[in-house]
Amino acid sequence: MKYVIIVSAVLAGCATVPGPEPVPAEQPVPPPAAAPAPETAPAPEGVPAAVPAPRAENIAIAGLMENARADAAAGRLANAAATLERALRIEPRNPRLWQELARVRLKQGQYAQAESVAARSNSWAGSDNALRAENWRLIAEAREARGDAEGARQARELSTR
Amino acid sequence: MLRRAQILRYLRLRYLGWAGLALAFAAAVCTLYLDSRVRSEFEGRRFALPARIYARPLELHVGLRIAQPDVEQELRDLGYPEVAREGEFGWFVRSGNELEIALRAFVFWDGPQPAKRLRVAFEDGAITALRDAVGAELPLARLEPLPIGGIYPANNEDRVLVRLGEVPQHFVQALIATEDRQFYTHRGFDPRALVRAALSLASDKIQGGSTITQQLVKNFFLTPERTLQRKVTELIMAVLLELHYDKNEILETYLNEIYFGQDRDRAIHGVGLAAQFYFGKEVQHLTLAESALLVGMVKGPAYYDPYRHPERALERRNLVLRETREHGSITMEQYAAARATELGVTRKPAMGTSPYPAFLRLVHLQMRRDYDEADLRSEGLRIFTTLDPRVQRAAESALTRRLAQFDKERRFGEPGLEGAVVVTDPQSGEVQALVGGRDVRYPGYNRALDAARPVGSLLKPAIYLTALSEPSRYTLLTPIDDGPFVWKSRGAPDWEPANYDKKFHGAVPLRVALAQSYNVATARLGTELGIERVLANVRRLGIEHDLQPFASALLGATDLSPLEVAQMYQTIASGGWRTPLRAIREVTTQEGRPLQRYPLAVEQAFAPEPMYLLTAAMQDVVREGTAQGLKNFLPPELAVAGKTGTTDEQRDAWFAGFTGDRLGVVWIGYDDNRPARLSGSAAALPVWGEMMAALAPEPLALAKPDHIELVWIDPQTGLRGSMGCAGALELPFVQGSAPEGRAPCSGGLDAAAEAVDATVQSAKNWLERLLGK
Repeated sequence: MKYVIIVSAVLAGCATVPGPEPVPAEQPVPPPAAAPAPETAPAPEGVPAAVPAPRAENIAIAGLMENARADAAAGRLANAAATLERALRIEPRNPRLWQELARVRLKQGQYAQAESVAARSNSWAGSDNALRAENWRLIAEAREARGDAEGARQARELSTR
Repeated sequence: MLRRAQILRYLRLRYLGWAGLALAFAAAVCTLYLDSRVRSEFEGRRFALPARIYARPLELHVGLRIAQPDVEQELRDLGYPEVAREGEFGWFVRSGNELEIALRAFVFWDGPQPAKRLRVAFEDGAITALRDAVGAELPLARLEPLPIGGIYPANNEDRVLVRLGEVPQHFVQALIATEDRQFYTHRGFDPRALVRAALSLASDKIQGGSTITQQLVKNFFLTPERTLQRKVTELIMAVLLELHYDKNEILETYLNEIYFGQDRDRAIHGVGLAAQFYFGKEVQHLTLAESALLVGMVKGPAYYDPYRHPERALERRNLVLRETREHGSITMEQYAAARATELGVTRKPAMGTSPYPAFLRLVHLQMRRDYDEADLRSEGLRIFTTLDPRVQRAAESALTRRLAQFDKERRFGEPGLEGAVVVTDPQSGEVQALVGGRDVRYPGYNRALDAARPVGSLLKPAIYLTALSEPSRYTLLTPIDDGPFVWKSRGAPDWEPANYDKKFHGAVPLRVALAQSYNVATARLGTELGIERVLANVRRLGIEHDLQPFASALLGATDLSPLEVAQMYQTIASGGWRTPLRAIREVTTQEGRPLQRYPLAVEQAFAPEPMYLLTAAMQDVVREGTAQGLKNFLPPELAVAGKTGTTDEQRDAWFAGFTGDRLGVVWIGYDDNRPARLSGSAAALPVWGEMMAALAPEPLALAKPDHIELVWIDPQTGLRGSMGCAGALELPFVQGSAPEGRAPCSGGLDAAAEAVDATVQSAKNWLERLLGK
């Protein structure tokens, strides 16, 4: 009789055990559409070797700029952009940081952003004409890449003025 | 008779035999079923880990304007005790104006950062030196970011997974000595304990006697009911579990599963999180006494809660220590030393699922665009946000303090006034603080996101921007008629806007019409420009909302949330560059592998020149207009730009404004839309001012666009003046649009004649415009 009790207890227990819950998929999370893609774009030609150094008074900015350039050179473009954004949080009005970011966006193939960010650099450039010329050159390159030959020509003209 | 009885007995036996066989068969099937469940679930079992959300990391560098107490507060919030613990990381000490910090290691989006020692010196509210342990100068030091909550599984279970090897040996000893002494030798159940349990069948309750394996099965697979069936199923599954897995696997899972009490609505599970929650440390650093306290809590986390019942918890801890001494391998000395210590739990305030529920909702909404809800609640994602706890605190305290004060002064009854605050970085569009109501810890109605309220005069800058985009027609000095005005349009009632003071002010310069927020002049200007054109600019400023093309929309008969207003003002504050507001910077997996970044994106929405002129006019709003009251909070050198907003019968009070480094939007009103009888300048502005004053803002310095010139103007004639003219103003103009005539006060003989000419001319122009020629 005891046997019957135990077996029926098992059966009852069996019947009331909740069914298996959906187990989360093995793959943690599908990488979202905008996840950083492998960045292997070659450096565009014609980048001047000597880019003016950032203002010396803030060594935090100088350090971040250095890291960003190293990352960009090694093709770690998303990291380079993140590092420049860190620097921009410290000095949001530094046109050299905006320019460096434009350069990275260009390498990333984000031409519209490259153009916008270079123009943003121009808005803080004041009377630094060399910096402006380089921004216009970046804008020209971004427009060219987007197939806007006329816009690129205009920008190039501004870059040589 | 006998024969018949024999037959009956035979039949019964036969029947029972068959029934027994059927039951045995069913039991076998059932056991097989349970077996497959145990294996498949235990094997594939992954604890649902909440997405963990972090505030922005504080980046220290020389020159950063931050007061020493603010850094200390940040460290305390991180759970760093103010005491030197050599050989360990995660503490700080203060000596005068210097802090020594032992920074813990942390895995950021861009890689791991090792633990390190820092020395930070402060002077006059700024960092003057930053060095490492050997005194070398450091360019930058990033503190670990403050955890500010999570997106939890449905039952709000929280845990931090640990490996068995990370758990101190004395913890395991204490656990086994207390909960299941035969753990390493039994096969899933303890027969002696079972006998005890069976004997207690006689009474109603089923007594404990559960092994660690059984407890795990119960928590894992079964509901907490105490019935015989449950007990038997639990026993069978425990045996099956032991057949398939070794003791260490079972123990590790158990250590991650056990429940250690509640933090408000958050359930603390696993020894990893318990170590952090109760002692502010990683599990490997738990002492014997601390381990014993936690082990003692397994039996009843609420009953032995060390915060609410410290004496009971202490008594239980000492009992665990005694058991461990008797059945484990700790020495008498170890036992005595542990027994002599205090409870030692951290004194940190309860956090629940988050101390900043309003901001977390914004994060959650933004995450839901890119991630599955289920993944957010189970994959242990790490989300790095833009929240600045210092700004958040300032916003919360200014809002709650002022609201309490207004309630007291006015006594409008229950429920009291409500409010919302949004603070962003004008250059990057990062949301630094978000307050959704006066009960800042309450995760309910989020007014910053969900309350769409009429914005009143807050839309006016869009009208003036539209005008200033045509420098040949409008400058800051162009007279605008503030005389009686009726707007007739087919199919709509006549619209006859009135001024706040119920008066008309005649012809006023454009900048004064905005500074004084004259409704009539603004309505006339808006209809002159064209309602559609103005609304198109509102959209370009970043409002994605449907806007009704009625003239009344110009004066703010448009419902927007504080966050939407912030988006619109963001574009103005950044000089015409539209930047989507962001609450998230980066997302990584639980292990730190980068998944996604939400990068800074900018887009030029307006030419810089009209934006520059508009901002100058909005600075006049603060200097001499409806927001003058700000001078009670902030020095005029900050040159703040802003706009007040007040709606019909003062149901809504708004202030939106920006300094060089922050944009803030404040709304005050009643949820049930009762008139608050408080204007934007009386109610919202003081909250904004008090909040910003606490944050030592940077002055607003605009980059002067190429085609802008600054010209001295004589306010009497509206002509070119010089610094010598009484009350002379230096105003910006698009090149070629400044008045040509010179005021008499500017000196020069022909200046006077020129002035007369110019005045006549400008009056003529203005008349022509009025007549629509």
